[in-house]
Amino acid sequence: METNWAAENLQTIRTLMERSAVYRRALAPIMLFAGVLGTAAAVVGLLFHLNSMRAFGTLWLGTAIVVVAGALLIARRQAFKDREPFWSPPTRRVAQALLPPLTAGMCLGVVFTSADLDGGFTVLLALLWVLFYGCGLHAAGFFAPRGVKLLGWSFIACACLLLLRAVITSSDLNLKAHWLMGFFFGGLHLAYGAYLYLTGKGKNAA
Amino acid sequence: MNPEPYLQLDRVIHEKGRLAIMSMLAASPELSFTELRGALAMTDGNLTTHIRALQETGYVSVAKSFQNRRPLTTCSLTAAGRKAFTEYINLLERIVQQNRPK
Repeated sequence: METNWAAENLQTIRTLMERSAVYRRALAPIMLFAGVLGTAAAVVGLLFHLNSMRAFGTLWLGTAIVVVAGALLIARRQAFKDREPFWSPPTRRVAQALLPPLTAGMCLGVVFTSADLDGGFTVLLALLWVLFYGCGLHAAGFFAPRGVKLLGWSFIACACLLLLRAVITSSDLNLKAHWLMGFFFGGLHLAYGAYLYLTGKGKNAA
Repeated sequence: MNPEPYLQLDRVIHEKGRLAIMSMLAASPELSFTELRGALAMTDGNLTTHIRALQETGYVSVAKSFQNRRPLTTCSLTAAGRKAFTEYINLLERIVQQNRPK
């Protein structure tokens, strides 16, 4: 009887501790880093007219790889500085939540780029990337501050609205893919990173 | 069966509501009053009473500040609170170990 009670208490404690541990480590620097690189890639794409599918896909897939690697390094450096384990349970959960949509987006990008489709498809690829990334952020938001989930929803909502608009009006989206990428992956990341800094929510704990 | 571990359990932490608060605070550097209330589905009054009890024992520290011109109350475990919580868990584990069939 007493053992059951003690074991139940331990289980309750474990569950509550897991629920309470929210990923916050270096969130503001990571968002700003992603925002700066996203904006820079958009500027490069526009300046050098990288409008073919192959050039567009290569530029943005490369940027994504650099951003992911950089984000991991920033988080690792912060964990090292705070003398905390890098691969903490919240970090693991956020990574697990992000992995499927990021992998799907990456795979889609490789397929579009290798097939070297018509340049007009770059907008479609950009919107699908925004959609996948939004889903990833939303999933990660369950283990991160509430703002991450809201950011995910804004990516999803904007991508859906733009895709639906194209279907309903049966018209070309008439948008530049680099502008789209720059706005979503540059601008929105920068805005959220700045918000975290200004409101002091960029605390470092994972 | 040795009843000693059970008798050593910290009565302040042992209460269900306070144990939940301590567990959540043990896994996070600090949590706001609103976060605790939302996660534990407690009423304002109930949560305030428990936090006050923990604060009086020196297990929890409460900081009041403003964020975006709104009052913000944050709670965190003190060193004494963390130590008491660790001891409480160790005792629970001992009780479970002691009563485990061999």
